Amino acid sequence: MSAVATPVRQTAGGVNVKTINRIVIYGLLALFALFYLMPLFVMLVTSFKTMEEIQNGNMLALPQAPTFEPWIKAWSEVCSGLTCVGMKGYFWNSIKMVVPAVIISTLLGALNGYVLTKWRFRGATLVFGLMLFACFIPFQSVLLPMATILGSLGRFGVKLQNATGFTFGFGNPTVNLVFVHVVYGIGFTTLFFRNYYEAFPNELVKAAQIDGASFFQIFRRIMLPNSLPIIVVTVIYQFTNIWNDFLFASAYAGSGDVMPMTVALNNVVNTSTGVVEYNVNMAAAMIAALPTLLVYVLAGRYFVRGLMAGAVKG
Amino acid sequence: MAFLEIDGLRKRFGQVEILKGIDVELDKGGFLVLVGPSGCGKSTLLNTIAGLETITSGEIRVEGRTINDLHPSKRDIAMVFQSYALYPNMTVAGNISFGMEMRGVPAAERQKAIDKVAKVLQIGHLLQRKPSQLSGGQRQRVAMGRALVRDPKLFLFDEPLSNLDAKLRVDMRIEIKRLHATTGTTIVYVTHDQIEAMTLATKIAVMRDGEVQQFGTPAEIYNNPTNLFVADFMGSPAMNLIPATIGTNGNALSVVLQREAREPISLPMANAPAGLSAFQGKPIIFGVRPEALTDPEGAERNASNIATADCFIEVVEPAGSDTFAVTNLGGKGVVARLRADANIQPGTNTSLAFNLTKAVFFDPATENRIL
Repeated sequence: MSAVATPVRQTAGGVNVKTINRIVIYGLLALFALFYLMPLFVMLVTSFKTMEEIQNGNMLALPQAPTFEPWIKAWSEVCSGLTCVGMKGYFWNSIKMVVPAVIISTLLGALNGYVLTKWRFRGATLVFGLMLFACFIPFQSVLLPMATILGSLGRFGVKLQNATGFTFGFGNPTVNLVFVHVVYGIGFTTLFFRNYYEAFPNELVKAAQIDGASFFQIFRRIMLPNSLPIIVVTVIYQFTNIWNDFLFASAYAGSGDVMPMTVALNNVVNTSTGVVEYNVNMAAAMIAALPTLLVYVLAGRYFVRGLMAGAVKG
Repeated sequence: MAFLEIDGLRKRFGQVEILKGIDVELDKGGFLVLVGPSGCGKSTLLNTIAGLETITSGEIRVEGRTINDLHPSKRDIAMVFQSYALYPNMTVAGNISFGMEMRGVPAAERQKAIDKVAKVLQIGHLLQRKPSQLSGGQRQRVAMGRALVRDPKLFLFDEPLSNLDAKLRVDMRIEIKRLHATTGTTIVYVTHDQIEAMTLATKIAVMRDGEVQQFGTPAEIYNNPTNLFVADFMGSPAMNLIPATIGTNGNALSVVLQREAREPISLPMANAPAGLSAFQGKPIIFGVRPEALTDPEGAERNASNIATADCFIEVVEPAGSDTFAVTNLGGKGVVARLRADANIQPGTNTSLAFNLTKAVFFDPATENRIL
């Protein structure tokens, strides 16, 4: 670059081309950042405005008299369809679905990565290839087969209930969603962990074997404690994906008390009771978006580092 | 019965045979060094002893007990790895005691063992640090501490010094030797550095392409190499291996070395090896170590068979403790090792003394020693 830039600078007669380049690049970056942040800004300011102010004022203006009323209403009073109990129940539904799904899929991915790199068996590459293939299967093609499977699981749950008086979670929509997301997520989590463990020194595993550590002891004491960057990447990725999922949620838990946040938000916005309460809708949307934001803020520092660690060996 | 016995050990990866029938044995308290160029199978051999690699056929015995099929942790061995393989998430103390923890040794006993090892290796002040906070030499010590604390029957070292800088490597080499002398443990040590092999070993196995080329004491390996490969690999500077022919000098045999643009040198052999007479008039490889080729004043006084010859000196390399002179014989550069204060000038003819009692001969066709 510098070899090219030097003669240009001479012909421009003292004008510092490098500075101009900088200004153009940063200017464009700032413009795109602004473009990207604009919707968030509008959502945020609108959620703190009163309806009166929204109807009369400018969309971009800051709230004149900031109020938490819309947030409180969105949390505990807003109507989703015919039930008007706010978003809080659905928020917890999502948490109850996301947390187990993320933990289980991350642990299984780590275990798969560990086996595929440190306990290589005949055909390990083929197995990994097939698991990778899971990353390319579109959501839509899974919908019907999965519905059939969940149906059978539900019937099994009914049988269990008749026999023992307890379903053991079979047929529970939240459990179903956890199951779906774990199955769908394993391909990605395995990919992340396999790439990370590929660069993980084999000698550590050998040393632990000589020290007498078992398969799971090596996993728990040696592999997992040294996997923080890739665990963070996987958790962020899985959390965002599962929390934001609408298709599976609406297909398998699309009605009643069991709806996750995304489906409920859709229903809130689509429920028309006269005036559209933009401020409440915006507050509800913000509540729906906050957990993923929070995860990024808390763990984002490791995100890029972890992505690189998996990609670049050594 | 030796302490460690390896019998006809073979290891195959698919179609490729990595180890082709290894037979080695070591007495209790011995120090066996497996040495050879990269890819010769020495690390694989060590891993099979450790149980980290399975073997295709053969037998490994420790104190008469076959350990082929035992899990690494059941073989009563400890291993020091090239990269040290310290667990990055644990403190030094945690690293040292991990094995004991896995075997369910009570905490108080673990602490006692840690303190004892820390004292031996002088790493007491490092116990609460993480491996990333240690220097290379300190990591090396901790890795050795982790092995020592187990008090195993057999220590395995996999190129433990190759990640250290030159000075530290010499220090640690002495430390390992001292450790071996004071604890009397039995050690199998892998290296590609022939100086490490010579200085540390009580027994050396020189390996190439999955085969042991020669197995013996350092002196045997150095003075009586069985073939060209061993002669060339061991020793620094390397042995001079000069193409020559065998001539006759009256009743005795002589070694004839060709020279550029001058008449050949003929060195009379007083007590030639018996096999050499069959090579009369035929080409052989004449092997002489640099220290057996020196100025007549510096030559060994009581050697029975010394021949002097006038040689053209091409290059002189003063190395401080010695002076190396390079001449050309049989079409090859030949290194002579002279006293540091030897008066020698490049570009002149100087008389050099060949200590023929130390000379060895090889058949160029089979590369084996002529005895």
